[in-house]
Amino acid sequence: MVAMQYYLLLSAAIFCIGVFGVLTRRNALIFLMSVELMLNAANINLVAFSFQYGNLTGQVFALFVMALAAAEVAVGLGIIMVLFRNFADVDVTKATTMRW
Amino acid sequence: MVGAFDFAPAIALLPFASFLIALFAGKRMPKGGALAGIAATAGSLLLSAWVALTVAGGGTYNEPLYTWVSGHGSGALSLHFGILIDPLTALMLLIVSLIALLVHVFSLGYMNDEDETGLPRYYAGLGLFTASMLAFVYSDNILMAFMFFELVGLCSYLLIGFWFREEGPSSASKKAFLVTRFGDYFFLIGVVGIFATFVGASSMPGRFAGDGAFPEVAAAALDGGVSGLNTFGFAPETWFTILGLLVLGGVIGKSAQFPLHTWLPDAMEGPTPVSALIHAATMVAAGVYLVARMYGFYALSPTALAIIALIGGFTALFAATMGVVKQELKQVLAYSTISQYGYMMLALGSGGYVAAVFHLTTHAVFKALLFLGAGSVIIAMHHNENMWDMGGLKEKMPVTYWTFLSGSLALAGIVPFAGFWSKDEVLFESLIHGLGGNPAFMVAWAMGLLAVFFTGFYTFRMVFLTFHGEPRTETARNPHGVRWNVKYPLIVLGVLAATIGLINMAPLEKLSGIHLTFLHDWLAHGGIEATTSEAYGTLLHDVAGVTAAYPLGGETGTMLVSAGLSLGLALAGVLVAKSLYDVRDPVEHTDRLGSVKTLLMHNYYQDEYQVWLATGVTAPLARVADKFDQGVVDGIVNGISSVSLFVGGGMRRLQSAVVSTNATVLTTGLVLLLLAFGLLGGWF
Repeated sequence: MVAMQYYLLLSAAIFCIGVFGVLTRRNALIFLMSVELMLNAANINLVAFSFQYGNLTGQVFALFVMALAAAEVAVGLGIIMVLFRNFADVDVTKATTMRW
Repeated sequence: MVGAFDFAPAIALLPFASFLIALFAGKRMPKGGALAGIAATAGSLLLSAWVALTVAGGGTYNEPLYTWVSGHGSGALSLHFGILIDPLTALMLLIVSLIALLVHVFSLGYMNDEDETGLPRYYAGLGLFTASMLAFVYSDNILMAFMFFELVGLCSYLLIGFWFREEGPSSASKKAFLVTRFGDYFFLIGVVGIFATFVGASSMPGRFAGDGAFPEVAAAALDGGVSGLNTFGFAPETWFTILGLLVLGGVIGKSAQFPLHTWLPDAMEGPTPVSALIHAATMVAAGVYLVARMYGFYALSPTALAIIALIGGFTALFAATMGVVKQELKQVLAYSTISQYGYMMLALGSGGYVAAVFHLTTHAVFKALLFLGAGSVIIAMHHNENMWDMGGLKEKMPVTYWTFLSGSLALAGIVPFAGFWSKDEVLFESLIHGLGGNPAFMVAWAMGLLAVFFTGFYTFRMVFLTFHGEPRTETARNPHGVRWNVKYPLIVLGVLAATIGLINMAPLEKLSGIHLTFLHDWLAHGGIEATTSEAYGTLLHDVAGVTAAYPLGGETGTMLVSAGLSLGLALAGVLVAKSLYDVRDPVEHTDRLGSVKTLLMHNYYQDEYQVWLATGVTAPLARVADKFDQGVVDGIVNGISSVSLFVGGGMRRLQSAVVSTNATVLTTGLVLLLLAFGLLGGWF
């Protein structure tokens, strides 16, 4: 049996990759993928603890998160399409027309 | 049983109806609404006479008729309209409706026969004026009195400015309105003060008489028998004096007393019948009448009484000196009006309530007569009012001359005409109460007495210049004739001016021992107990400490000395005027006064001084206040808003709308927060 710490380390690593992607990339699609990474890092945590304590609530919760992620992607892709239509680009730093 | 009092509201409603008729249908009526006005005032006169007869039979009426604000619970305020009829009211109703009727008739000659335009407007104004004045007279509470007081002022404005296309009348009407409004402002504060003071002790605090009437509550309060009074931290005596003086502000404005008298001479720009009705006989009387109406309140305050007496005495003398030099007929009459109202205030202030009412009555008659006589002369002279252009009108217009002479003898105070009896009684009352140990009354009396000489002089200067000697201009040689509608009112008033003094001949009663002081009886008995002159006499004696003394041979001796003194001075004035002006070619003798004449012609620079007060003091003060408002008050508000704008303008730059930046800030914040929790919570 793999020790609990490794799951947590994997999850933390994936989460950090996700955060790094959000902070450094400008492409909206990469953004969306990075968000997916962070969500899945959380899923790994939920499933790992569920497995550790023999409580199924965490696994059920992970399923909910997946459904939520699917919905989020649907909305996110819609927003990206509109972004492209308006700015002819998917660079998130260009959409600054509504400030001030 | 249906009695006179059931018809009392109609006394004021009839002229109000004539106002509506003249206003809306006057154009289609043959005389521009005059006939409706004459019918209405005649109706009012008949009803007033009926009311007076009922009052003579011992009846009084004091009922709230319509409550328009009803308070619930204890200490709540109710406001109502009501009617109070006692002997004083009945007398005043008779005077007002009689003079209103005669003025309406006279207007047929002065306005209709002269082909004036805008007659419906004129008769509407007269109707509304008569209605408001009558309603003011029988108001049973001070708030209702205030409302009609203001309406009377409005009518005065409308009628003075009747010829509004010319500059003089429109400016004079504004001046009259503003000056009297200035006084009324204090009156309004006084009314509110009276309600605020007495509402805790009475459910109807504004009433003049009856249950919970403020003069009676105030009298009881001075005996210490009333709880719930709010005197705003003052002693009751002081506070009642303050309230009385506030109301007196309105009186001084309306009755043209110094220093608010300046509007009245200018008001002569209006049509002459209006001058007779409003600026001599009735509206100006409203102020004096108000003091008489709430005399039970003034009688509680010796300070207020002394101030009233001093203002009255001073105004009597002050206005009489200005009347001496005027060249226009109506100007002389205007200053004599101010002066005569000074006498009434003198009488009221020095404890001569009956004398004041008596002088009010006689003055209303003879001053209306003089103004109508002047109107007749003005018609004859084609609207030239300068006395130096007249002369010799005696033969041309005998009716006007004889009636005018009757009025002039009454004004000058020559026995046995009306003014002699009343003016003598005014001076007698102030003399005996002054001798009773009140120096203020003595000073006021001395000024009033001196004014008698000037009154005799200017009155007969006016008569001699107008009617005697040779005609000095072509117009005076061929005067325009006047018709019955001018002559009849003059004859009625001329006879009254000669005889109305007979209602109260105190000196003659003392000499002959026959009972002749009918007005004393009228005001002393019957009526509502707290508003009789006997009750006032008791209050004056017990509360205000006004006592009488008769050092010159008892009451009879003092009265005869006083009467002789005033008659002697009046005769001296008349004789001086006769020697100077009753000659073939009179010259302007007042020129010999030199710089004094200039001073008098400019009315002691009162107008200039008031204009200076407005432009030299009030306007700069207002500018300073404006600077403060614009600079400091607005500055603080504007400063706060511009600081907020500036800071906000800087802060919004933080909101870059770049998603990456937002995310970085968010992440950094989260990390910092975690670090802080970790350090503080001891995780490491």
